[in-house]
Amino acid sequence: MVFRVWYFLRETLVSLWRNLSLTLAAILTVAISLSLVGSSLLIREGAERATAQFQEGVEFIVFMNADVLSEQDAAIRDVLGTSPAIAEYTYIDKAAAYQEFRELFSDKPELVESVTPDIMPPSYRIVPANPDADNVAELARQFGEQPGVKEVATATEAIRQIEDFSTRVSQALLFAAVVLVAVSAVLILNTVFTAIGARREEIEVMKLVGATNWFIRIPFMLEGTIHGLFGAAMAIPALFVVDNRVLAYFQESEAVPLFRGFAVPDGYVWNTSIWMLVIGAAIGMVGSAIAVTRYLDV
Amino acid sequence: MIRLEGVTKTYKGEVVALRDATAEIQRGEFVFLVGPSGSGKSTFLRLVNREELATAGTIMVAGKDVGTLSSWKVPYLRRSIGYVFQDYKLLPKKTVAENVAFALEVIGRPRPVIRRKVPAILDLVGLGRKSERFPEELSGGEQQRVSIARAFVNQPLILLADEPTGNLDQATSVGIMRLLDRINRSGTTVLMATHDRGIVDTMRRRVIELDRGVVVRDESRGVYE
Repeated sequence: MVFRVWYFLRETLVSLWRNLSLTLAAILTVAISLSLVGSSLLIREGAERATAQFQEGVEFIVFMNADVLSEQDAAIRDVLGTSPAIAEYTYIDKAAAYQEFRELFSDKPELVESVTPDIMPPSYRIVPANPDADNVAELARQFGEQPGVKEVATATEAIRQIEDFSTRVSQALLFAAVVLVAVSAVLILNTVFTAIGARREEIEVMKLVGATNWFIRIPFMLEGTIHGLFGAAMAIPALFVVDNRVLAYFQESEAVPLFRGFAVPDGYVWNTSIWMLVIGAAIGMVGSAIAVTRYLDV
Repeated sequence: MIRLEGVTKTYKGEVVALRDATAEIQRGEFVFLVGPSGSGKSTFLRLVNREELATAGTIMVAGKDVGTLSSWKVPYLRRSIGYVFQDYKLLPKKTVAENVAFALEVIGRPRPVIRRKVPAILDLVGLGRKSERFPEELSGGEQQRVSIARAFVNQPLILLADEPTGNLDQATSVGIMRLLDRINRSGTTVLMATHDRGIVDTMRRRVIELDRGVVVRDESRGVYE
């Protein structure tokens, strides 16, 4: 058994070295394909997190009538305090509302002068437990029916658009990742086929002297696994570049606040890296096994 | 050792390479398989080595029916058969010693055995001093000796040789035949396809003649024609 392990290791290393150009071609193919796959996974995760972060800041505002009765106000407060659908809320009283109004229209003194704190509607700024657009719309409808409520202001349309955008981006990137995995599998297979095709006569001799199929396959599979692992290892730095440069570039966006949430935790980058190593090794190993089996049918 | 009974081999349902061939070769025999190109000599050898399966008939090799042998057992059948080709089929990137050792390594023989056997067999074929050379540095006759060493190093029961002197001049061929004769004397059954008239007529061994896939002659101590 010891002799066999020695034989497999030696054959694998010698072959990697002797077929250096194909070895490098295979490793580069894996590296490029997997860095594209990994990048699309990172960007997808970033987009999902950005949407989630945006949703966390979502609130809706329930404006009460200026002459709201205290029991009507207490009823609303009671719902807000007990409903599990409400994450938190703040009360803006008439004075605070007036203050806000003054700040908002400080460049239009005639407008500010036309109002008094007395006519300002007090309001509740409510953060829903579930920021989903449909859920917010339903909550707004329910509050709108309560006595003493003047109107409910929501950003439902905006949320809906962002959710829709995020879902589409996420689906598109997932599709891209799947396509890239398939394309890289084909590219890797192609390289492995070339590498093994170049050693047909060796396989032929092995078969003629009575080597078993597994004995023939194992060095090729080890070789493929090494191609896959090295390629994946080379793709990992690309992931960190995407994380530190591309995602960071989005985060600096002034114009689109959504993009500021475009970040993935380091743990996610490492997890993706480990997955890439696993995928790389698996594609290399299985690809070689398939390719070598094609030459084993004698 | 080798028995063919009513063996027919057709390729793609049309080309008949061997037609109803019957022959029996005993342990330790030296048999020439003669006939013009395309007469079915190579097919005969490939059937014995189970590189091909017969379309009809039975082939027994070393007591096993190769037609019904499950595919995972084929490597073990081939370990009892050595194969020598007209074009040597040596691996160009391996040295003489490595080419011979390769045949033992890939069937999982331990290294001490390989270290002992390889120099011994290279001495036997007269290449003990050229073990570190690469095939391209050797003459055709020397390359064929390496090929024979590789086929014989595992001491097979049967040695199949397909035109082993086809690429060699007369003087070199005589040397190769001496070597095959010596291997035969050690008890190995030798089956050699050839159309080298001089060799067959000189050696006077059993001759099986094929013509368009049919066994037309089988005589002990025969000549080419």
